[in-house]
Amino acid sequence: MSMSADAAAPRLTSRPLQLAGGWDVGLLVLMALLYLGGAVLNPGFFGSTDAFQALLRDTSRVAIIAVGMTFVIVNKDIDLSVGSTYGLVAVIFARLYAPTFLDLGIVPSLALCAALGLGIGLTNGLLVTLLRVPAFIATLTTLLIGRGFVLALTGGQAIYYSDKGNEAPLFFGLGETNTFGFNNQIVVALIVIVVGAFVLAKTRWGYETFATGGNEQAAVYAGIPTRWVRIRGYVISSLLATLAGLLSAAQDRGVTPLYGLGWELTVIASVIIGGASVLGGRGRVIGSCLGATLVVLIDKVLREGWPIVRMIVIDGETIPVNAKFTLPAGAVPAFLGTLLLVAVLIEPYFIRRQVPQRLWAYLRGQPAPPKPESGGVAIEGVQTKGAMASDRAMSASGVWKLLARRDAFAIMLAVALWLVGLSLRPDYWWNLENSFALLLNYTELALLSIGLTYVIASGDIDLSVGAVLALAGAATAYCMKTLGFDPAQAVVVGLIAGSAAGLVNALLTVGFGLSAFIATLGMFYVARGLAAWMVAGQQLTGFPEGFNLLGRKLIDIFTYFGIEVPPGVLHAVSEALSVQTIYMALIAIVAGIVLGYTPFGQQILATGGNRRAADYAGINTRRVRFISLAFSGVCAAIAGVIYVAYYRSFNPTAGQLRELDGIAAVIIGGGSIFGGYGTIIGTLAGAAVITLIRSLLSLQIITAQGAFVMPQHWVNVFIGVILILAVLADIWVRQEGIVRIWIERIRKMVQGGRNV
Amino acid sequence: MSDAALAHATTAESSAEFIVEMKQISKSFGAVRALHNVDFTLRPGEILGLVGDNSAGKSTLMKVLTGAYHRDSGEVLVDGHATNFRTPHQSRDFGIEMIYQDFALCGNMDVAQNIFLGRWPRKGPFVDRKLMYAEAAGVLRRLNVNVNSVYQKVESLSGGRQQSVAIARAISFDPKVVILDEPTANLSHVATETLLKTMLELKAQGVAQVIISHRLIDIFEVGDRVMALKRGENVGDRYIKDTTEQEILELMIAGTAETAKSADAARARLASPGSSPRPSP
Repeated sequence: MSMSADAAAPRLTSRPLQLAGGWDVGLLVLMALLYLGGAVLNPGFFGSTDAFQALLRDTSRVAIIAVGMTFVIVNKDIDLSVGSTYGLVAVIFARLYAPTFLDLGIVPSLALCAALGLGIGLTNGLLVTLLRVPAFIATLTTLLIGRGFVLALTGGQAIYYSDKGNEAPLFFGLGETNTFGFNNQIVVALIVIVVGAFVLAKTRWGYETFATGGNEQAAVYAGIPTRWVRIRGYVISSLLATLAGLLSAAQDRGVTPLYGLGWELTVIASVIIGGASVLGGRGRVIGSCLGATLVVLIDKVLREGWPIVRMIVIDGETIPVNAKFTLPAGAVPAFLGTLLLVAVLIEPYFIRRQVPQRLWAYLRGQPAPPKPESGGVAIEGVQTKGAMASDRAMSASGVWKLLARRDAFAIMLAVALWLVGLSLRPDYWWNLENSFALLLNYTELALLSIGLTYVIASGDIDLSVGAVLALAGAATAYCMKTLGFDPAQAVVVGLIAGSAAGLVNALLTVGFGLSAFIATLGMFYVARGLAAWMVAGQQLTGFPEGFNLLGRKLIDIFTYFGIEVPPGVLHAVSEALSVQTIYMALIAIVAGIVLGYTPFGQQILATGGNRRAADYAGINTRRVRFISLAFSGVCAAIAGVIYVAYYRSFNPTAGQLRELDGIAAVIIGGGSIFGGYGTIIGTLAGAAVITLIRSLLSLQIITAQGAFVMPQHWVNVFIGVILILAVLADIWVRQEGIVRIWIERIRKMVQGGRNV
Repeated sequence: MSDAALAHATTAESSAEFIVEMKQISKSFGAVRALHNVDFTLRPGEILGLVGDNSAGKSTLMKVLTGAYHRDSGEVLVDGHATNFRTPHQSRDFGIEMIYQDFALCGNMDVAQNIFLGRWPRKGPFVDRKLMYAEAAGVLRRLNVNVNSVYQKVESLSGGRQQSVAIARAISFDPKVVILDEPTANLSHVATETLLKTMLELKAQGVAQVIISHRLIDIFEVGDRVMALKRGENVGDRYIKDTTEQEILELMIAGTAETAKSADAARARLASPGSSPRPSP
């Protein structure tokens, strides 16, 4: 900046140095250092221009999605479904275009894919705005439904259409290197970035987005159609994910079911690292794209590994051998998840407290700039909405009183579903094996759901329960097989590992004030990554029988200790009942009594109902939330140890999708996604409903045409739909009393008709 | 000003000790001066209206009293004891209760659970439900309010009834002072009437009350005294009997340090002929 310019228009040109600019420079420097580090460690890969090309090419797809995600996050929303949209679009395109399937032309294939992307975006947007489902629940469900479709439509196989690709060079050229020597996808990404940055920063659409994310209420008062703004954000995000999916189709001329797996993590981490705030109202497209480059670079450095020298002893002689150290594929999310959590903490603890400015002033010996005001003035207000159902409960008596309880529905549904099973397969449903299997599946889910009930009732959420289950199981198995611990020690280590994950969740949420879904989403990836890392390339089976007893039937225990059980009722019961079911029942009873009948239980419900009011009433809501989140980790850890004992091995897919089952169980059982409600009896019934639905869906139906079994992938899609329906029913029927309002309205109309 | 306060503390009119006395209170938020050397007094069983334009510092003054905000300077005496509350819970131990504008209730819990929020009676490790509902019913009877049932969920109650629950919760602590923040802001006409009746009921039981309100009409109906603030400073203190809504409005808008004399001083001035500050309506 020249002196004359300063003098001419000092106010306009000398804007204060904003960290945002420094932030971008910092990101670039960090990236350069990382790349150089990668080049030094692994010159074979990072030293070549090919590597640089590949980095930019792979970044371009992530960056395209990150542009859309920036809109969503600035809107104070979140879109977890982008990875599955990316994968699903590639799969649908393959199914439409590939000669082995529908064999459509290129134009209709592309049009249908675009329509699909639009549909997913609209679905997300409508669920979140019009139907008021919390964004993370709605998009998590679309994510899992999308993944279910990907698996179901590929059948777990890759689909290729290399030759047919030559028929449409215009489209498939997009995925290829052009005459200038770089990939066309980079051009597409640059166009999207420039347009996105322009729209977000310079147009009304962008301003509306910032207003909506900054203060939605104020934006509504100012006449901004915030619902449309938020729907628009989801549509942009989903359409850009579609574009990225199509680019991958153009590049690879084929698809595997793994496309886009975990990409939501990469993209959200990119946007947050790029300087956006999950609290909404802050974010820049350029920053997000730099973030995307950084994350992809880290991902590549981790995946490509680095050369090491291994000492190998051959015939008593130690020989150095060049080898390459690489992380197992599953372990990368552990780093990215940690990165996400750190990035989320940067904004409130680093930028808002002006740490760099203060440090700079300190180094120059100048007085530190004043701390920004952060008094305990604005305490977050959460108000639960009217529940008409409770009024009915007031006036009811006897059986009706029971039916008016929030958890009555789940109990009736569980009974009804069991009867459906009985009528479909009377030969099989009633026998001991089936009951045993049902109870076992039930135990795992019920354990997770008990912990989740505490968390959800206190107004938080725990998305990491399934991953924590896997972590605890992996730690137990690893300790026994690789480290040679005895079973008791291994169990303790497993429980500690799982509980530690719960503690970290609690610390991040309560101590650092992150929203629970972001903290536990980070833990979801970290715990799963660590579990995959521990078990990578190892066969963790063949544990001591004393350990396996943790997951056996009672009859096996009696046999192990040499106790004869005479045939009869006791024998039958001990054949159907297993040890873990007894553990679960004990935990359920204690948890149920604490939640329902003690002051601490009341404190949980008060905290979930209105945290501010509970604070004023002298309840230590931080302690309540901390204990609930930690308890959820403990429950998941117990479930993980039992899992290993039951299957006699550890499978990396342990606990997959269980967080979804658990949340659905709690909601069906009378909990509210907004907190303040939940009973253990209801949750147990809800878990029974989910277990029964799962086993009914995988039941072999024998018809005249033959046997039919629904594939597992479709079951997952189905469970996703059930979760979203349960949340919707909770919001609209229980909280708002919509059904009752409709009945009243119809009654009035009928009466009005009579009067006329 | 503090001289005047000391002076009128010895007059016959105020033979009773002040239940609350705040002297020279100042409080700033960053560059914003919210309160500047404000004095405040409250007698036992008195209903005081605290009025002023927006940002006059009414709520801030009361939050300084309850300990929700920490004062920069000044003294707070409760029942003659110097205090320095760090949280509202500490002022509660001294018998000061604040009822917030949004009532601060848990909608998902029933009336009795809300009245005993955070201090549910115990029987062993469990909540003593029987005792809780019986005592809640007792509190509601004492307050003479009509809430259908102690078993009803608060979120299904109307705004007026929710406020009754909030008041019931406050008086269940047996407070000496109840502060109501904009109590009539969200109430219907009928609910306001009920509230004013409840306030007189509390006054009869010897509870001093402070109403922070814009609605002078309510204050003139039940109040004993009214105190006006403007931009964080005292601008007036009058007995209801001696003043009119017109005068208070003028104080709120155009009051100065000169008009800020104590209610007793104002009464004395009024009694002496020829120097009435009271404007003719």
